[in-house]
Amino acid sequence: MTRRRFLGTAATLGAGAVAVPAVASPTVHPPGWSGTARVEKIATTCEMCFWRCGVLASVEGGKVVRVEGNPDHPQNQGRLCARGNAGTGLLHDPDRLKTPLLRVGERGEGRFKPVSWDEALDFLAGRLVKLRDEHGPESVAFFPHGNGARFFATLMRAYGTPNSAEPSFAQCRGPREVGYSLTFGQGLGSPEPVDLEEARLVVLIGSHLGENVFTSQITAFATGLARGAKLIAVDPRFSLAASKADWWLPIRPGTDIALLLAWMNVLIAEDLCDKEYLKTYASGFDRLANHVREFTPEWAEAITEIPAAKIRETARAMGKAKPAVAVHPGRHVTWYGDDTQRARAMAILTALLGSWGRKGGIFLPTPIPRGSFDLPDFPEPKRGRADGAGKRFPLAIEELGVTNGLIDATLSGDPYPIKAWIVYGQNMLESIPQPARTVEAIGKLDLMVVVDVLPVEQIKYADLVLPEATYLERYDPPTIVESAKRPFIAVRSPACEPLYESKPGWWIAKELAKRLKLEAFFPWDTPEQHLEKILKPTGFGARELLNRGAVAFPGKPYLEDRAPVDRTFDTASGKIELYSEALAKIGADPLPRYTPPVEPPKGFFRLIYGRAPVHSFARSQNNEALDALMSENEVWLATSVARDWGVTEGQRIVLENVEGVKSSPVRVKVTEGIRSDCAYLVHGFGQQSRALRRAFGRGASDNSLMSRVSVDPLTGGTGMRVNFVRAARA
Amino acid sequence: MARYAMVTDLRKCVACQACTVACSAEWAVPAGHARTHVRTTPLAGSFPNLTSSPVVGQCNQCDHPPCVEPCPSGATYQDAGGIVRVDTDVCIGCGFCVDACPYEARFINPRTKKVDKCDFCRPRIERGEVPACVATCTAHAKYFGDLEDRNSEVSRLVFRDGARRMETRTVAVGPNVFYLGRPEHLDLVLSSYPPRPPRLLTAGAAWTRLLKPLVLAMVGMTFAGQAVAFFTQLHKGEGDFEE
Repeated sequence: MTRRRFLGTAATLGAGAVAVPAVASPTVHPPGWSGTARVEKIATTCEMCFWRCGVLASVEGGKVVRVEGNPDHPQNQGRLCARGNAGTGLLHDPDRLKTPLLRVGERGEGRFKPVSWDEALDFLAGRLVKLRDEHGPESVAFFPHGNGARFFATLMRAYGTPNSAEPSFAQCRGPREVGYSLTFGQGLGSPEPVDLEEARLVVLIGSHLGENVFTSQITAFATGLARGAKLIAVDPRFSLAASKADWWLPIRPGTDIALLLAWMNVLIAEDLCDKEYLKTYASGFDRLANHVREFTPEWAEAITEIPAAKIRETARAMGKAKPAVAVHPGRHVTWYGDDTQRARAMAILTALLGSWGRKGGIFLPTPIPRGSFDLPDFPEPKRGRADGAGKRFPLAIEELGVTNGLIDATLSGDPYPIKAWIVYGQNMLESIPQPARTVEAIGKLDLMVVVDVLPVEQIKYADLVLPEATYLERYDPPTIVESAKRPFIAVRSPACEPLYESKPGWWIAKELAKRLKLEAFFPWDTPEQHLEKILKPTGFGARELLNRGAVAFPGKPYLEDRAPVDRTFDTASGKIELYSEALAKIGADPLPRYTPPVEPPKGFFRLIYGRAPVHSFARSQNNEALDALMSENEVWLATSVARDWGVTEGQRIVLENVEGVKSSPVRVKVTEGIRSDCAYLVHGFGQQSRALRRAFGRGASDNSLMSRVSVDPLTGGTGMRVNFVRAARA
Repeated sequence: MARYAMVTDLRKCVACQACTVACSAEWAVPAGHARTHVRTTPLAGSFPNLTSSPVVGQCNQCDHPPCVEPCPSGATYQDAGGIVRVDTDVCIGCGFCVDACPYEARFINPRTKKVDKCDFCRPRIERGEVPACVATCTAHAKYFGDLEDRNSEVSRLVFRDGARRMETRTVAVGPNVFYLGRPEHLDLVLSSYPPRPPRLLTAGAAWTRLLKPLVLAMVGMTFAGQAVAFFTQLHKGEGDFEE
């Protein structure tokens, strides 16, 4: 490959003939060499999670031997988390999908025969043509996740289906994006632009930074703390962040809006808001002030179980630190079904403190130019989206879609029958709640296709499995990150040839396009040509980006960086909307209101869940190095609860939810660090795919216990903290 | 002469384990073992008044390393930069040093059957790089440098900011890994994971002193045997040389 840059100079060390015992003889290799082997370092983009850090992959003899952070990358600056450092474990995972697989037994038996790519793609193209002829292209639903899915997204649009949905909306950030958009005229994007390093006060509401690790966010968080930022951690659990906090507020789960309203009450009553900022940029202050007058700290204490004095004290700390208060908007926010309103409340709090667009608060994205291909017109679907986005869920963002809406439509045939699913890079049985419903919906399909790297549980139900190359073996469309202080474009490019029969997503999509006579939508022959076109208006060439991994642009992160005429907000009023006309118009609460969460039946405890720093969702449990650090999860129980249940530290128990669904056995962790009304699990364990030999059956799956959801009527987001468990008799 | 040291700022550390995995990847440490380990102390206090702290442990490259003397083969030694090293050519994998280490920083590598431990990434230092754990630390909580250089970051953190050694009155061997943190957190770390009195320092030391010449002789003989085999092989030619 001509683009590969050979580092260092060519020199070998004369090998000492015989090592002399007890004498220090460190092996020193010149840069670019390891022993006598020349080492290449390929700059690319990590995909052990979806934060998109820059990595350098060391390649010896065509084999990736080590992945490190790319010091020149604007986002992570050479740093990498545990998962990123364990990247070669995914590449060399012996359980990887190795060839295309075609189902031979009954669906759900998991019996397949290996087939060639030609056979697999001919089969798939044939079925897609037949589905289009018989049921219309809208009958095919697409479930993408991640950057690599974008070539497939183009293919699916060209094929003619509007039905595409990612779990990153309805199971993750959707309500947040909508809540902030309603208020400020724009969402947050990913990475979320929280100015943690400049903050004088950080407010975390359920965000367990440290256990939830995104490299550059941890850097900013730790830097902020080291510079003396104060920290408020609102969490029913004594999280790692809580252990660093100046105030840990162990809130009663589901009552966050009450706390937020009481904070607003104090800020307004004690005249602690950023009045100048509000006068210049915001509308609806008087209505808000009127609205929150009754929500005193005493009112909130009865609901949240946080002492009124603590609520006042923390509100005053915010008032003192404003505008450098980073109220973290959260990331996975689909909790109770009122999540858009909670996001609104957080956005309003941010506005009252004058923190949006200000140093130490939430900074602003800076647009960067990008090129595009002159594609033929995409066919206009005859039937609208089946997932309810824009209709049943009026504020759902259509580009991201509502996964559970598509599952509902598949089950009911309403508004029309869904006959096929193509799932790319997401593990639906672990990422979407009510997995039994998902399996039931799969039963209604004529065709189920999974494109993945590992044999995750859902492949058992697939008719066709396509083995994708891992992120270290493939090109993906460039990552364009505008929500960074220095916005950047980064690229994922192959550090080695795909192992086994795996193929990169772009190749699979393009080959399918050929067979479907949709080639015109892929007017490029090589990834480099594709990249060149996208980069055209930036002034950078594809070769340069491939060599460096990322290129950064100057940013204008704060309002003060922008001319006064550009300090506008993309809302109907052009202002920050404390009172939302848009919500009023659709009959929703224009100002956030506290609604009590569903309470557990007697003897049951609320199941809450979160993340561990060494695992990404349910994606990394089969990785040797990460499994060695955490091979199973534990159920956290308060000391008093463990006593009531008659269980002890380390004992394995089975959890049972209200519907009688039982978990696989999980160890008990008895701790003072959790409220006595809930039980906590790290997400992603208890996997049921036997083909994942390390991950199989380790710990308990929180998702398997989510028989209930509380759906946010505005966005379709699935509130998942409405499930209750007890210890079952195993 | 350099006196290499590391400082970990526990106010910044989030126990994310990036260091552990980077280290294991750098040195091909078999899964299940590690040269550096990250823990979180047990909780002190009761709900809702609780304290805990993350802490990162590794070889402390002590000024007076208790692991050197018990080593019967002389494989463990302190180098010119104060780094405690293991010459794996000489190590016999007896594990006496593992028992002697107050910080549980040594282990027998199941692949090599030799003792393994942190050496501050000596080869990386020689290349002018920082240790792998420092390079990857997501929280920028780890600092590495030379205490002899009064302008170094570690010197400032130790001599100006008062970074602390994890030692007790009974076990004070001059560790060169220092910690910054809230006093209550550092106290909790030390009381949760106090350095363990070296097990072989007293009684053991005496007999290992006796044993040492014997083991050295054995190692020497093994080495001589290997040399003979090597030259025999060389003589026979490469065609027969199979790994």
